[in-house]
Amino acid sequence: MIIEASGHPAALAKLDAQAQAILAKYDKKRAAMLTLLHLGQDTVGWVSPDVEAWAAKWTETPVVHVHAVVTFYSMYHQKPAGRHHVRFCTTTSCVLNGGEKLLGHVKKKLGIENGQTTPDGKVSLEEAECLCNCENAPMMQVDDAYHGDLDESKIDKILDGLQ
Amino acid sequence: MTEPVLSRNFTVADAWKMDVAENHGAYETAKKVLTTMQPDDVTNQVVAANLRGLGGAGFPTGKKWQFLPKESQKPIYLVINADEGEPGTFKDRYILERDPHQLIEGIIIATFAIRSKKSYVYIRGEYVESARRVQAALDEAYKKGYLGKGVFGSKHDLDIVVHRGAGAYICGEETALLNSLEGGKGYPRLKPPFPAIVGLFGCPTIINNVETIACVPHILKNGPEWFAALGSAGNGGTHLFGVSGHVNKPGVYELPMGTPLREMIEKHAGGVRGGKKLKAVIPGGISAKILTADEIDVKMDYDSLRAAGTMLGSAGVMVMDETTCMVKMLYYATKFFSHESCGQCSPCREGTGWAHKIVTRIYHGEGSLPDLDVLLKIARNMEGRTICVFADAAAWPIQSYIGKFRPEFEEYIRTKGQGIHRDYKEYDPRVGAPKQIGAH
Repeated sequence: MIIEASGHPAALAKLDAQAQAILAKYDKKRAAMLTLLHLGQDTVGWVSPDVEAWAAKWTETPVVHVHAVVTFYSMYHQKPAGRHHVRFCTTTSCVLNGGEKLLGHVKKKLGIENGQTTPDGKVSLEEAECLCNCENAPMMQVDDAYHGDLDESKIDKILDGLQ
Repeated sequence: MTEPVLSRNFTVADAWKMDVAENHGAYETAKKVLTTMQPDDVTNQVVAANLRGLGGAGFPTGKKWQFLPKESQKPIYLVINADEGEPGTFKDRYILERDPHQLIEGIIIATFAIRSKKSYVYIRGEYVESARRVQAALDEAYKKGYLGKGVFGSKHDLDIVVHRGAGAYICGEETALLNSLEGGKGYPRLKPPFPAIVGLFGCPTIINNVETIACVPHILKNGPEWFAALGSAGNGGTHLFGVSGHVNKPGVYELPMGTPLREMIEKHAGGVRGGKKLKAVIPGGISAKILTADEIDVKMDYDSLRAAGTMLGSAGVMVMDETTCMVKMLYYATKFFSHESCGQCSPCREGTGWAHKIVTRIYHGEGSLPDLDVLLKIARNMEGRTICVFADAAAWPIQSYIGKFRPEFEEYIRTKGQGIHRDYKEYDPRVGAPKQIGAH
């Protein structure tokens, strides 16, 4: 579910109990950074300026530090991503097993390029570096789940099944 | 090899659940160690077992533990490096998802040995399922009273926290991992000071790989002599080798250290797929220098592979058959390194980007023959000039692919890639959006 940006502060305010439970596990507040950013992103769909400010408040760090962290890691979306996010592996073992051609198939099917989202906001695509599922190459990750041993028909089935 | 050690529960259904794991002997060794042994005796056994860090560097584990200060006013941390990211490697995921109690038991014994009361397990962000499994296993261990205050009735207190990364290969470098765990960008730190003296939150810290720690209960259970004898000289134990690429049976194979690479490919992984001939093998993850088909009689352990001019690394074996285009493979290797360079040191940040641009040009049929020497020069100027070894790792594929397959590169450049690159006509990467360089 994508929450409109204007609703982010209200959505994040509901996470206070979870944020406190997370902070309690770490020896320093700042160490909870990545975990809080994951939680914020999972809640509103991307790391919006509101999510950064919220993480800054809990970790007691400047917002500019939080922003620097967000820009460093590939998993944090700095703009709204699709309701489903596809990471298609483009590293050695997947390429050896035909991954390049299958990535072309995914792009054609979705009508988007690396870093883009379908016009209906359903799927976003990211060319990922090795996701360490090489025994099942070629593979892609859709949201949390890994899908391996891909071919065109398997990809079609997975992508067509997304709501 | 007769009995699997680390992988013995991989095919047991639901071995990640406490009752199943305990039926297979989980936690028996930890109980015995914590109630009958002294911490230093545990460390001595790990030293005697010749256990070496299985994340890639191969540093003797017991020796690392002995670097900790004898008296510390500050807390000591054990950080588990589960930031598996080296292309071609997938072994730690098997432990995390299929037998997390093996890891937790190892953490209990290791923290007892190094007198640590807190351990963080840093799991790569994309391994969502792995993190869930380990968290579920931890919850069960807490419920049983195996973690928390007075583990197994001893004086050892222990808390374990699962921490997820967020997508950055460099965080597998141990000091980058510490900076990441402290809530910052994953920039590697200058060494010394080494983490054993100044690590997490400025406190003494041991960082060990998942598989390394999973070995510890077995050493304590069966004795260091038994463990040392499983491997080859100076390289104790077995190792989980990941074999992928053009083989009939890609997968994780637990084999003794020192198993010949040829045996691994031809016997265990079922040989090259489709009756094709072998062309090349990367023996230890993308950073390891490539071996040609003539060079696979090497033994797979740290010392033998170093002598062969490459490295065991993370034991991710990637097999390439005769149809493989080396220009294409170098294109994807340089793409990986230019994307994953953390950007802290100029030779790496700029060098990986330059190299990828030049290889991209060649791959698109627009290269020139002098490009190859420019690439080698860039690689030479990246090696040994940065804070961590990422730049070296980025230089090695360039040097070894061009060094061992130069006629193929020259032929590709001369013919502009026509007739060599098989997928080229079907999918042209030039159509894509501009490639992002550096962490994004």
